[in-house]
Amino acid sequence: MKNILPFAMLGVAALIFPTSVSTIFLETPIEQQMGTVQKIFYFHVPLAWIMMLLAVVCGVSAGIQLRRDSKRAEAVSIAAAELVLVTGLGVLITGPIWGHATWGKAWTWDARQVSTGLLWLVFAAYVLVRHYGAAGSERLAAGLAIFGAIDVPVIYYAVKIWKTTHPSNDVAGSLPASMWAALWPALIALLLTSLALLFIRVRQELTDVTLDEAWISLDDAGAAQPATGDA
Amino acid sequence: MSEALWGPGARAKTSLDMVALRQAWLLAVNDLRQEARDLELILTSTFFSLVVLIMLGMSFSALGVSSQPLAVPGMLWLSVAFVGALTLGRIFTREREFDTLRALLVAPVERVSIYLAKAFVTMVILLGCSLLTVLGLTLLFPAAQPFADRPLETFALVTMGCTAYAGVGTLFAAGLASSSGKNVLLSVILYPLTMPSLLFALVATRSLLEGHESFTTYLGQLTATNVLAFVVGAWLFEPVLVGVPQKRRGAARAARRRR
Amino acid sequence: MDLKANQPSDDYEPVAGLDQQTVQCVRACESEAAAKTASDYQHIVWAYGVIWSLFAIYGVMLWRRASRQSVEIADLQRRLAQ
Repeated sequence: MKNILPFAMLGVAALIFPTSVSTIFLETPIEQQMGTVQKIFYFHVPLAWIMMLLAVVCGVSAGIQLRRDSKRAEAVSIAAAELVLVTGLGVLITGPIWGHATWGKAWTWDARQVSTGLLWLVFAAYVLVRHYGAAGSERLAAGLAIFGAIDVPVIYYAVKIWKTTHPSNDVAGSLPASMWAALWPALIALLLTSLALLFIRVRQELTDVTLDEAWISLDDAGAAQPATGDA
Repeated sequence: MSEALWGPGARAKTSLDMVALRQAWLLAVNDLRQEARDLELILTSTFFSLVVLIMLGMSFSALGVSSQPLAVPGMLWLSVAFVGALTLGRIFTREREFDTLRALLVAPVERVSIYLAKAFVTMVILLGCSLLTVLGLTLLFPAAQPFADRPLETFALVTMGCTAYAGVGTLFAAGLASSSGKNVLLSVILYPLTMPSLLFALVATRSLLEGHESFTTYLGQLTATNVLAFVVGAWLFEPVLVGVPQKRRGAARAARRRR
Repeated sequence: MDLKANQPSDDYEPVAGLDQQTVQCVRACESEAAAKTASDYQHIVWAYGVIWSLFAIYGVMLWRRASRQSVEIADLQRRLAQ
């Protein structure tokens, strides 16, 4: 059951995706101000939400990891951080593509662009520490993830102060119902894909831990055998 | 005095917080005394900030007066960021070389005291270097004159900026010192995490140079970030530094990677 | 002769609302809109392509890791059998 779940989720996402595309391009009215290019919105914004969600998941599970020394929480936080990098890269690339079409300039140092970029850097640092840190750096990385998750609102606020000429960010609130209808399927498709990848990665990490333990006990048994043989 | 502080009866005599603060003070004084003996950190950091200052002066000497107020804050805080990474890298090296961090951790000292003491020492050294940088920038760039005109505000600003850096940095420098020291990772961690404080400090410095009233607001926001950084840092210090030993697992994984 | 050339010929009757100027204006608008839509679609294709190829790349990385793990598990089993 557990093995099938992620693939079932991917399958459902694969079914929803064509529906979502047809809703976006055939049934949703073209936005007045930006024209056709606004359709990037239906994938860009849900992806940004998923990125935020995964950042929080990473921070919370890092907290649980530190508190209970839980391998499962550690695996979740690693997987979530890697997916923050993937989804964040998606957000950071599609944003400028959209900006290039509407503002004529890809990178405008807009508050949301910069804060997303900084958040991405924090989690990139987490993944780097996990990969290249010496033994015992798991806890350090967990501290970094917690700090990063707490930093999310501070980063956003600081960037807003630094760049006072930000555009208003209540796009999502003032959306007409037809656009919301197109946003939901896209959100569900992306969320299912991300969660499926998250589950797969978590299970791989747990398998890694089990394999580590197996190798250790094998080495121990190997070390013990000659000793008993001598005796 | 130290008997009452370190001894088993210490907790009964004074409240826990006071003990932690006084232990932190004693540890910091000890570190500073040791530093005063060989001056290693002070001399290298001062020299490094001087070099950075000269590099900044040479790179930006042709800058017009009108664009200077935009550039000077960046120069100040970038040099703080560089010097801070250097100082933080060194501050735990002594502990690592003689493995005294472990000794400190098993000693009957509140872990928060170690954090506060190290952060304080970092802050003091960083503050000295930043004041030197401020002085140099004032001499090099006419637009930096408000630093000299409003010394109290400048001092408060630089202190707050350095505190933010020390608060975040001490936690991770300590964590890296207890593992087998890969100092590249310190900058990797440090710069993204200190970015918000750096942005507040930048904005506050710009408003100071331009004589805006909003300076106090920005300084207040910087202070609030500092408080947050210190609360989170002190809260995470023990779990990050001590935690549960997992060395074997990490070692096994490293061995597997080599295979 | 000159007068004749400047005057509209007798068989030309302008249709109401579709004088030369309006037609040109409409054509210009249309071509601009077509260019905008074409560029928009290019941007959209790039954006969607980037998102799904990022997921695909990550999926391939996971798949490779999984196959490495199964090799390792087989190795472990072989050693245990010895």
